Amino acid sequence: MLERFNEAAKRQVHSLQEFFVLSGKAIGFAFSRPFYRGDLIQQMDEIGVKSLPIVLLTGFFTGMVLALQSSVQLKTFGATMYIGRLVAASMIRELGPVLAGLMVAGRVGSGIAAQLGSMRVTEQIDALNTLGTDPIRKLVTPRVLAALIMVPTLTVINDFAGILGGSVICAAYVGIPTSLYWRTVFEQIAAGGFIFKYLPNDFIHGLLKPFVFGGIISLVGCNFGLKTTGGTEGVGIATTRTVVTASILILVVDYFITQVLLAFLPS
Amino acid sequence: MTDNPEGGRPSDDRRQANPEDQVAPNTPIRRGDDDLRVRAAIRNELAIDAPTATQEIRAVAKREAAHKVIALEHVYLAFDEPVLNDVSFDALEGETIAVAGESGTGKSTILKLLLRLLVPDKGQVYIDGEEITKLNFADALKVRQKMGMVFQGAALFDSMTVFENVAYPLREHTKLNDDEIEARVREKLDFVDLDPDKILEQLPSDLSGGMRKRVGIARGMANNPKIMLYDEPTSGLDPLTTATITHLIIKLQKELGVTSVVVTHDIRSAFRMSTKIAVLNEKKICFFGTPEEMAASDDRYLRDFLGGY
Repeated sequence: MLERFNEAAKRQVHSLQEFFVLSGKAIGFAFSRPFYRGDLIQQMDEIGVKSLPIVLLTGFFTGMVLALQSSVQLKTFGATMYIGRLVAASMIRELGPVLAGLMVAGRVGSGIAAQLGSMRVTEQIDALNTLGTDPIRKLVTPRVLAALIMVPTLTVINDFAGILGGSVICAAYVGIPTSLYWRTVFEQIAAGGFIFKYLPNDFIHGLLKPFVFGGIISLVGCNFGLKTTGGTEGVGIATTRTVVTASILILVVDYFITQVLLAFLPS
Repeated sequence: MTDNPEGGRPSDDRRQANPEDQVAPNTPIRRGDDDLRVRAAIRNELAIDAPTATQEIRAVAKREAAHKVIALEHVYLAFDEPVLNDVSFDALEGETIAVAGESGTGKSTILKLLLRLLVPDKGQVYIDGEEITKLNFADALKVRQKMGMVFQGAALFDSMTVFENVAYPLREHTKLNDDEIEARVREKLDFVDLDPDKILEQLPSDLSGGMRKRVGIARGMANNPKIMLYDEPTSGLDPLTTATITHLIIKLQKELGVTSVVVTHDIRSAFRMSTKIAVLNEKKICFFGTPEEMAASDDRYLRDFLGGY
């Protein structure tokens, strides 16, 4: 019994170690030649541009429902003019990064795992190795870099779509003029405090998180994809594991980043 | 008669039910002209019983017997349980070694050892005189450039066109410009009897199994390697395509003088193309010698293994 537990624990630690070695290599290869620029651009298109529609949609509808729900609650206090502040604060600090992260984990993380997984089971990864290319350099590094760049970009777009969605609801249902709504949005950003005089703390929250999430999604996807065994069934397993692991990690890590940032960046 | 409960003549019924199934005389055949031309050539060659390349190569190999291009010395390897126990063999320049054996005896593992995708637990592997088991990752990548590998399922990159696939090793490791690369890719595709103009821009998923394998060979030899490794080059192919591929491997030896290791359980093609055969059994090499020696052997296992041949 104890022995079996021991074995299982060893395997877990070993796979965690492999994950960190992969991460280290993937990031290290970003700073040495040869660098596969074509693959980076292709992946930025795949991860960023092609995720744009779903991110715009989720952002817009989340903003709308936020405005709608808070209008009901705030009306009881006669404070509907604060809807803009509420929507801005929650979109920029929390919902924007987390929702964009989860959407990208579902769309891109699964795609990465499935693609690398099928390359593994059809010996294409071995073929890369035999043709004298490090598969991590060729496949993982471009995906990680692309995610590190594109997930924050998508988050900014997501935030904006959400705040815009809120403004539409405010104008249509709640009767708050658009100009007032946007003024309260900027008030909220200013009220969050500044670091280095001009950089709003809200932006630090809102950009650091998706940067980390991008790394999590791409590395988890690549890790499970490259470790795929057992034919096409294995590819399915790798895909599911990626989405589950990345989503959970995003939510857990989000909490800890918030804790740390709140400690270091007081409003 | 389970499929025909009404008791009519089954063939007639079926014909009436599916009139589209009958092939009209003008319907284009799925196989390309190119394929047919090659197949005809192979059929002719088999029919007239043309001498296989092996005699000439054996002569060459004897003449320049000094240089061992590939050598495995007392190699042991185990994953969860032992896979290889004290395996040794070598290949002289220009030789073709067929590694035969039942499925699951670690034949493909030997190729992975030669490519240093795996490192043996004990023993040495020499490629072109260099001991490769102790090399670091970057040096191993360099050694691999001396070798062209043809995978069982061809392992073409399915996100790239045929051209990009064959050009891949050239782009990675040479300073050739675009025109030179295109010329080289065309030359290699010509060599494997594919029409470059027709297939350069196709994706691997558009090709038949035999064509994919030939593109795989073209990619393996794009860099003009000294050594070619083949993993089950003829498995899962019909007899004519098998002959085509066997013919290609022989052509590669004959015209380019590469040293080859062919992992196969297709004894017929192993006899045609190899200078020596290594038979793996019980994690060991139980026979290593020429096809003639193998045919003449009284060993019980070898006789069983040769079975119907």
